[in-house]
Amino acid sequence: MKKVFGLASTLLISAGVLAACGGGEEEPSATNDNGGSEDDRTLTVAMGTDMVTFDVHNHVNTSTEAIHVNMFNYLFKRDNETGEILPDLAEGYEKIDDLTWEVKLKEGVTFHNGEALDSEDVKFTLERVAHDSTLLDHINYNSIKEVEVIDDLTFRIITNAPDPALLNRISRIASSILPSEYIEENGMDHFLENPVGTGPFEFSEWIRDDRVVLEVYEDYFEGQNEEWDEVVFRVIPENSTRVSELLTGGVDLATNIPPSEWERVESNEGTHLSQETSNRTMMLFLRSTEGYPTADPKVRKALDLAIDNKAITDNLLNGAGTPTITRVAPGNFGFAEELYDTYNYDVEEAKKLLAEAGYPDGFELTFHSPRGRYLQDAEVAEMVAGMWSAIGVTANVEFMEWSSFVEMRNAGENEDVFLLALGNSMFDAANALDWYNYERFKGQIDYHNEEVEALLEAAAQNMDPEERAQQYIEAQHLLAEDTAHIVLHQESINVGVSDAIDYSPTMDEIIYVDTITKN
Amino acid sequence: MNNYFVRRILQIIPVLLIISFIVFSLVFVAGDPVALMLPDDASQEDVELLRESLGLNEPFLVQYGTYVANFVQGDFGESYRYGQDAMSVVLERLPATLELAIAALLIALVISIPLGIWSATKQNSGIDLIATGAAVLGKAMPNFWLGIMLILLFSVSLSMFPVSGRGTLAHLVLPSITLGTGIAAEMTRLIRSSMIETLNQDYVRTAKSKGLKNRIVVYKHAFRNSLIPVITITALQTSTLVGGTLITETVFSWPGMGQLLIQAVNTRDMAIVQASVFVIALLVILMNLIADLLYRLLDPRIKYN
Repeated sequence: MKKVFGLASTLLISAGVLAACGGGEEEPSATNDNGGSEDDRTLTVAMGTDMVTFDVHNHVNTSTEAIHVNMFNYLFKRDNETGEILPDLAEGYEKIDDLTWEVKLKEGVTFHNGEALDSEDVKFTLERVAHDSTLLDHINYNSIKEVEVIDDLTFRIITNAPDPALLNRISRIASSILPSEYIEENGMDHFLENPVGTGPFEFSEWIRDDRVVLEVYEDYFEGQNEEWDEVVFRVIPENSTRVSELLTGGVDLATNIPPSEWERVESNEGTHLSQETSNRTMMLFLRSTEGYPTADPKVRKALDLAIDNKAITDNLLNGAGTPTITRVAPGNFGFAEELYDTYNYDVEEAKKLLAEAGYPDGFELTFHSPRGRYLQDAEVAEMVAGMWSAIGVTANVEFMEWSSFVEMRNAGENEDVFLLALGNSMFDAANALDWYNYERFKGQIDYHNEEVEALLEAAAQNMDPEERAQQYIEAQHLLAEDTAHIVLHQESINVGVSDAIDYSPTMDEIIYVDTITKN
Repeated sequence: MNNYFVRRILQIIPVLLIISFIVFSLVFVAGDPVALMLPDDASQEDVELLRESLGLNEPFLVQYGTYVANFVQGDFGESYRYGQDAMSVVLERLPATLELAIAALLIALVISIPLGIWSATKQNSGIDLIATGAAVLGKAMPNFWLGIMLILLFSVSLSMFPVSGRGTLAHLVLPSITLGTGIAAEMTRLIRSSMIETLNQDYVRTAKSKGLKNRIVVYKHAFRNSLIPVITITALQTSTLVGGTLITETVFSWPGMGQLLIQAVNTRDMAIVQASVFVIALLVILMNLIADLLYRLLDPRIKYN
């Protein structure tokens, strides 16, 4: 009996020790340690992935940019409400000729180390990304030839060819202005460990795969942020853990909440789900290479007509998604409104078209889809395959891991159909419609429409905005008529938000701390 | 004995080389990092350009040769993701993982030793059945599920512990229980069977027949002698522990090597994968060496030749 008590007490003591670790003094502060909502001068945001780097030119990652925008500024910024491009670090600009843009900087802007912002900083920043082909965002900036410094606050951006999308280009990822003197003096490696920008918050610490901490910058040129002293971006990869942190008050905002967790966030007292349409469109890319059934526009049209886009958004996305037949979303330059929030669905017509194309009994095709890359991607692929079976088309869905998927496409080994959901940080139709450039995706998609290409080519260098927008709109109509690809829907952004703060997501999926206030 | 250890230490070199080759090949076969670094709509041309600038267009053997040449000089290369020396990124994470692993191992020992001894001495009793059943259950529960359940119960419903992250002792409790439970289960069963075997030995019977108290027989005669297999198992659990940290660290967003390795595999960050696997392999080999050393201390009859 004694032994039993001995062992039982050993177990009890162990349990007691464990409980003591968690109970007592830790209990009330458990959530506070993470900078939760109890400390009302600290805003804590939970994200699914860690930021990649402080090298603003060497990532193409929205969650990294979501942190950068709070530490740096662009020359211009896009108004998420109106889509208008407004000056940020710039005072204003003047177009000298088709290749030259003169920009004047605001006076009195300082970096977090006290250095004043000048034209040399802009030259350093833009020429770095425009000239260094190893930087990941180089492909979006190689249209810039050079930056000519006129005086401390005035400079000219000279492009290789007329670039009507220049302002869109320099008001997005990779156009944060860097401190040239600081980097030249200390080296890039030092900057990456101790980044310095002009933004409303300055760098405090980055514990990888754990958190990035920013502190308010008192001398911010638009005035110190009065709401928050500190912002903590925490990395919580597991969806259910991220939601649990939100429910217990450990964080104020949790990004990327999957549909399976929506109910938990909504039904909890003190939190809600906030949704917004994203700039990401889910599409099915059809191979137009000769010999593939999808080379025939009638087959492509039939496949499109067989899909009930609304059933997908209603059932798989709980209504959070908008059916569309163009990749260019609202808020983007060159958006064709009449092609948005609508879809083609007519099973009988689809069967008729298939018969006309010579497939009265349908046919078999291969459908590649990534799994876990986009919101409900695999589920969408399965549902589409099911819908196609109604017109006699048997789709063999192949789910692939992302890098194998990309390699397959680059090697041109993709078969009839593949699924992608593409974003567009440029907010310009030029970026979205680049897929219809025959040469660019030759051997992978092979869609060739000379009329569309002529329009896109003309628009790419057209400095008349109205005419340029019309060219893009016309191209989108031609593409829709020809069913170049099947556009499914616009995805939504799903963020879990504490009722203690006022926050609504923006279409660009960036978190602007300056716009978040306490309730 | 000295010769033995020198030999064992020299054996580490080919083992590490073989491991590096296997890992290098697996990551190479698994896919191209460039595909994961560029935007989803990058063209073939963009991919080729970046691949060339990163030296990834070289044939496999050339890439491996370059890697080994740097590796023998202690250079594990630069992480694509962090743009920093891979080994220093990994070593930065090591303390967090060691903290979690040691806490989990302690929990496992605190649970398994008393429970194992107890159920061995009460073989086939009700208590033994419950302990064995609990061990099977503990082993059968997947780490990620147990972790999520513990969060739901102790953090969301009872608000006893923080949900995730690292910092205070309270942050350590749920992850170490998650990681320790499976190991505790395994060790309970092994301690139990090792004890049962020892309790049936002649010298234990002799001790009992001398009229020694049961407690002395169990702890002094039987338990010490059952420790040898227990030490082997504890050393072997190092790899289970490391494997467990991959999942546990992800569930609890514990900023250790496990989470780093998962992210590195996902982004094909070869340098980080290699450096992490190197550190893990070294840890496992060292733990095995320590176990060998402890055998000798516990049982002087064991000779090394």
